[in-house]
Amino acid sequence: MATVVGGGAPKKRSIAGRRRKVAYGLLAPGGIYLFAILLLPLAIMIFTSLKTGGLLSGGFRFEFPGDWSNYVDGLVTYKSHFLRSITYAGIATFGAIVLAYPMVYWIAFHGGKWKGSLLLLVLLPFFVSYVVRTVQWKWILADNGLFLGTLKDFGVLPEDFKVLATPLAVVAGLTYDFIPFAALPLFVSLDRISGSLIEAAEDLFATPFTAFRKVVFPLSLPGVFAALILSFVPMAGDYVNPEILGGPNTQMIGNIIQYKFLVSADYPLGSALSVILMIGMVILASVYAKILGAEEASNMAAA
Amino acid sequence: MTEKREPLKNDPFQVQKALKTRLTRRELMKYAGVGAGAVSLGAFLAACGGDDSGSSGSTSSENIYAGSPNGKVNFANWPLYIDKGFIKQINGRGSPSLYAYQKASGTEVNYQEVIQDNASFFGRIQPQLSAGQPTGWDIIVITNGRELTALIANGWLEELDTTARPNFDANALSFAVDPPFDVGNKYSMCWQSGVTGIVTNKDLTGGEILTSWEDLRNPKYKSQIGMLKAEALDAAMVAQGVDPEISTPDDWRNAATWLQEQQDAGVIRNYYEQGYIDEVIAGNLAGCQAWSGDVLYYKLWEDYDNLEFVVPDEGGLLWIDNMLIPKGAENPVDAMAIMDYYYTPRVATDVAEWVMYMSPVDGVQELMAQDAKDAYAKGWDGYAKKLEDSANEPMLFPDQAMLDGLFNFRNLTTDEERQEWDAIFEPIIQ
Repeated sequence: MATVVGGGAPKKRSIAGRRRKVAYGLLAPGGIYLFAILLLPLAIMIFTSLKTGGLLSGGFRFEFPGDWSNYVDGLVTYKSHFLRSITYAGIATFGAIVLAYPMVYWIAFHGGKWKGSLLLLVLLPFFVSYVVRTVQWKWILADNGLFLGTLKDFGVLPEDFKVLATPLAVVAGLTYDFIPFAALPLFVSLDRISGSLIEAAEDLFATPFTAFRKVVFPLSLPGVFAALILSFVPMAGDYVNPEILGGPNTQMIGNIIQYKFLVSADYPLGSALSVILMIGMVILASVYAKILGAEEASNMAAA
Repeated sequence: MTEKREPLKNDPFQVQKALKTRLTRRELMKYAGVGAGAVSLGAFLAACGGDDSGSSGSTSSENIYAGSPNGKVNFANWPLYIDKGFIKQINGRGSPSLYAYQKASGTEVNYQEVIQDNASFFGRIQPQLSAGQPTGWDIIVITNGRELTALIANGWLEELDTTARPNFDANALSFAVDPPFDVGNKYSMCWQSGVTGIVTNKDLTGGEILTSWEDLRNPKYKSQIGMLKAEALDAAMVAQGVDPEISTPDDWRNAATWLQEQQDAGVIRNYYEQGYIDEVIAGNLAGCQAWSGDVLYYKLWEDYDNLEFVVPDEGGLLWIDNMLIPKGAENPVDAMAIMDYYYTPRVATDVAEWVMYMSPVDGVQELMAQDAKDAYAKGWDGYAKKLEDSANEPMLFPDQAMLDGLFNFRNLTTDEERQEWDAIFEPIIQ
């Protein structure tokens, strides 16, 4: 670019200026987009969460300095749902990583020229809406359906055995839905590890397991942490799996928020619950980032 | 008439199609982000301030029905809630009754199936209404319940023109006249109605039919019973011999205990908003609290003989889907006219034969039976049989004895009542 414009100090400054303009120009579309669809609704949500009043007495009102009771009520009333969300998401995240790790490990180190295709296979279910996939599970796992019905006919399972409407169904559904979220960052981190490192470890008389424990796994940790965040956060807010696969006592906080907005029309409380969930997730993510070093974490998450 | 010379230009349905495309885009812009993206800034600020200039500012006594018709109307309804079929004149599918109306009156009807459930549709129009702005709709269809109560209480509905509904006055059935939530039908006219009762999947009960609410607590049906989220508490009150309409908070607590015991008995599979009927058909639910039309459709028209719908011994619940004119509607005169048009027995029959809910119009049963005869005469035996079964179906044409056994829902009229109700009820279903 400089050669086109030509040399000289004043010109240089204008190049810098232009570069800055270009940078802003590149930043603008994304920035405006984020502002419009993320920050603005977020502000409205926080604002709504501080309102009081009721729909039948003229709508919800904001009175300075705002009413914080929605937050207290929300936390107290729905403590068990928050805990349940964290528990389910925790177990399911662990499950997704444990299932995904060996799979992508094999792809990264033994996939050879098929690496790309194999990874695509892992991500393939991802191309179908996860609501649709979850509904399919409902049919597959129906009490007397394809799978359980057959096993019951053969007397393998007792007549009243069921998977649907249990916590197991919800956790299993979450695990299944978010495996691609865990697999991708794990793959990126494992793929970066050079095979020669393992050779070196083995040259130094490490057993394959020791090599994995002391070399491969520590190097893949950033991927593990990224997988943790990427799957745990959406899982904790999920309401599709409990709604479709769950039963009366498997409702997560996402279901409560959905209910507050779409059934009981209690927008302030629904907003307050959303804000609490969001703050919780931000804290969690920052703790991870702290442990990991912020830069590494965001690198991996971005990857 | 003129249609012959310029068929495309003057065919109301073509006009409607064109209009539809335009409106769809407008709608998109308006509703894209609930409350955020697109409501005009004024509406948005007003909504933020929670100030209800809509209800206080528009109490003027100006008669909105004084003017002449504008020749168009925007009608929001639920999916699959009107007659559908092939229309020769346009060589495509549509609603024959709407098409006939457009032909006869020259009114462009922009009919959209945008209401999936009461609460989320209410959420969509609420920002405009509370800001005193038109919603873009001239007719909306909302079930009696919280949203309807809020619409009336906040002055978000136009009063109907009671002098301009001769068909309604002549043909409306007793249950559609003076409903408890709107005495005098000042704001509402029934579109269709239905009964909440019990559906049984006989494959799972060994042929037995669940005939009482108490049967839904039989521990035999482990994890095979469903209840409706929005209506379970009313049903539990009926089960205990309490009329929900005049119930007290103590009755609510007793009903909540009834539901808790039901859950503790291990019979509850889930509480449903929609979609329970799929679970019944899939063989996951032996019995479920259910809406008559859902079951009748599968039983009468899809040959699911294993399904049975009953009004329970203790009584069922009656609900009404109401046509309403939201505040600020731009074409109220046209809206009144089309609302009354659907109270013509012939038109109501066309709709009833398709949607399988209770028609609020007198004379539909006779016409449907006649249609069945005509169909037999034409040799369409399969279709005729279905029509005949439908015409004889007591759930579509309830007699007075059955209607007497139906209860109305509890109408929660203050915020305090709603909060108390929620506090009693929500811990159970969540």
